Amino acid sequence: MSRKTAVVAVALLLALGSAGCGSRRDALTIYSGRTQNLIGPLLERFNKETGIPIDVKYGDSAELALLLAEEGDRTPADVFLSQSPGATGFLAGKGRLGQLEAATLDKVDARFRNADGRWVGISGRQRVLVYNSEQVAEAELPDSVLDLTGDRFTGKVAIAPSNGSFQDFVTAMRQLEGEEATAAWLKAMVANKPRTYANNNAIVEAVGRGEVEMGLVNHYYNYRFQQESPGIPSRNHSFAGDDVGALVIPSTASILAGADKTEEAGRFVDFLLSAEAQRYFSDQTFEYPLVSGIPAAAGLPPLASLRSPDYDVDALGGGLERTVELIRSSGFNGV
Amino acid sequence: MSLVAVSALVACLFATPLAYLAVRGLGEGGAVAAAWASAATLEPLARTLVLGVSVAAAAAALGTALAWLVTRTDLPGRRLARLLLPLPLVMPSFIAAFALLAAFAPGGLLAGLLEPLGVEVPTLEGFWGALYVLTLFTYPYVYLPVAARLGQLPASLEESARLLGRSPAAVFRTVVAPQTAGAVWAGALLVFLYTISDFGAVQLLRYETLTSSIYASRVFDRTAALAQSLLLGLLAVAVVAAERSATRGGGPPGRLAAGRRSLRVPLGRWRVPAVAVVAGVVGLALVAPVGVLAFWAARGLLAGSTRAGALVADAGALAVPAAHTAALAVVTALVAVAAVLPLAYLTVRHPSRLAGGANAVVVGGFALPGLVVALALAFWTLQAPWPLAALYQTQALLVFAYLIHFGSQALRASQVAVAAIPGRLDDAARTLGAGRLRRLRTVELPLAAPGLLAGAGLVLLSTMKELPATLLLAPPGFETLATRIWNATEDAFLADASLAALALLLLSGVLTWFLVVRRGDAPT
Repeated sequence: MSRKTAVVAVALLLALGSAGCGSRRDALTIYSGRTQNLIGPLLERFNKETGIPIDVKYGDSAELALLLAEEGDRTPADVFLSQSPGATGFLAGKGRLGQLEAATLDKVDARFRNADGRWVGISGRQRVLVYNSEQVAEAELPDSVLDLTGDRFTGKVAIAPSNGSFQDFVTAMRQLEGEEATAAWLKAMVANKPRTYANNNAIVEAVGRGEVEMGLVNHYYNYRFQQESPGIPSRNHSFAGDDVGALVIPSTASILAGADKTEEAGRFVDFLLSAEAQRYFSDQTFEYPLVSGIPAAAGLPPLASLRSPDYDVDALGGGLERTVELIRSSGFNGV
Repeated sequence: MSLVAVSALVACLFATPLAYLAVRGLGEGGAVAAAWASAATLEPLARTLVLGVSVAAAAAALGTALAWLVTRTDLPGRRLARLLLPLPLVMPSFIAAFALLAAFAPGGLLAGLLEPLGVEVPTLEGFWGALYVLTLFTYPYVYLPVAARLGQLPASLEESARLLGRSPAAVFRTVVAPQTAGAVWAGALLVFLYTISDFGAVQLLRYETLTSSIYASRVFDRTAALAQSLLLGLLAVAVVAAERSATRGGGPPGRLAAGRRSLRVPLGRWRVPAVAVVAGVVGLALVAPVGVLAFWAARGLLAGSTRAGALVADAGALAVPAAHTAALAVVTALVAVAAVLPLAYLTVRHPSRLAGGANAVVVGGFALPGLVVALALAFWTLQAPWPLAALYQTQALLVFAYLIHFGSQALRASQVAVAAIPGRLDDAARTLGAGRLRRLRTVELPLAAPGLLAGAGLVLLSTMKELPATLLLAPPGFETLATRIWNATEDAFLADASLAALALLLLSGVLTWFLVVRRGDAPT
């Protein structure tokens, strides 16, 4: 082995070793379906304020939920943060989530927490219709998502049928409008030749380019695109307050059953519901704070004024198998 | 330990994901069979096969042509081409397809440039879009081993054929093609397996394959996801086994380059079209996506950002993820070549049913989605007794995951390399009393080195961009460039994603040059 090779080998081992091995014993371990950009600064603040070290694993909410299910009670994780109540509901159904304190749960409106206390909403996202303002005038857009089956929207609506938020929306629709009406709407949408996309980002990007006139997404994606590409003509259109299309969906926090660091985990979830963290969500990530008294970001209608339809948020977790089946049988591709 | 025992052990390690699927599948019983027979499985399966075969054929043609051009002709700028041509392999398909879409899509960057000139840009989607994008990003699987093989081929045969008055095309058909067939097959098979396991590109291009069904049903219809994953794995194993028996004993025995310099066919009037082809491939597969990324990155850098942790404000934050990426990839590449070499020997020198089976299991691992590999390793490691269970979410387990996911790439290249060693040299060394290890060190390894390096290069590039297994199995807080790109893409922080992707590309370029191109060029 030449000296150069030896130096390279030592450097490699140092680089690998620098991150330590496995998770640290004394750290609070968090599996986060929210990406670093949407939670990282809060984790740092929590660490600074409490001195509790944090190990975090970022990933897709659904895939982390699958990993947690596979890990079972051997999981190193204490806390699970999810982008959608669907993945959380899946874990609750497997008995993998512990009970949160009543004092924690009570900080949030009953609409945005689990009735059994297995999870609590930390921020809200509203379903909207993003549209290209150079191609459509907002006045032409419907008040109800149900009207998108009309002739004038043929081939013009983008949908991400395999996306968790779209599926959450369909689950809520089954509850509010009934199974038959939902199945009929899905079929009519398919017949109206929507363009299907991989996810919310792809839809907002395509609407911005003018490839498709409008699409069903969560509200905050367009804010990011506006920041990244100032001047793109994508705009959010909210459906009428009581329309199922105007649903507000929480992102969630929960503590794993049998977590080692239950006390620290509880403090962390409380921290996410503190005024400081809630303000971070409204100022930095353009989401709705869920704790009352914290105003929404400038330009967003206040949460209290959104008459978000009254649906049972727990059903978003439990009923998803049926929802996926329904979306699939209605003829959407890639579900 | 005998070659057979080592190979059997390696195959058992590689079988862990399939074994996991089988264990889970048995738990589900008849539901798996029912899921296999349903149209929700069969239709995507058919689309998967059509796409896999098409991309493999297209990439085989393109990769072979490019390899011949850079190794056998007086193509201008061939040294630069040798550095650039392997690089498209390192573009993670989830960002590359996104960048290409942004370039080619209606209203996209390219349309903005061309439409004022009256040129209409075709929409990139569906089967043709997937075929186009995947071919551009997978041809290096063929190009690398074929170029390595051609570099070793004696020029004397081709020279004789030329002297006897054969046209370059006839020389290619009668001399070059038979000698490189093994390498072409090896590469095409990897392209096929990559294509059937790809998710990022087909999802964005809206072509529904088996992997998109697995993705869609992974949480809420786990039986279907399980059945489809198992089907994908079994399909891969079957295809590999079939390919093996079809090509076994096929190629002519290896020959050794007699001269130091191999033949350079003067391109003559084909010079311009040849340069155009190579430049076109580099332009579409590398310059176009890189151009889009550079555009996004520059726009972000100019605008700046006050967001905490934004890369555009602090690109130095990429240093640690880059070091992690390089270290993991180099270690994995070396481990992979060492792990599969015994099996490569066994399959080439002592073909048997056992060797064929082991080969199929190792190569088939490439077709399983990274998510399945990660879940399988979580399942097995956490059940294992203490010393093994302690490996959970360590770098060691991550390297092992990469090994079983990408080891196939090193195996196929190693088989080609081993097959190219003339048996008579080994015999001669043995007659002279050289022991097994000495023959390996002094005769066989130096001869196989270019092929082994090509294999290591493939593993290296694949590892650098791996995402699903990295996200799930890396130690908490351990970042790589790929996880950085994902984090930024997920929230549409295009500038940050582009910066990280450009860093990944640059790092791969440096490593490819250092480990593969430079050494491949050195006289052996």
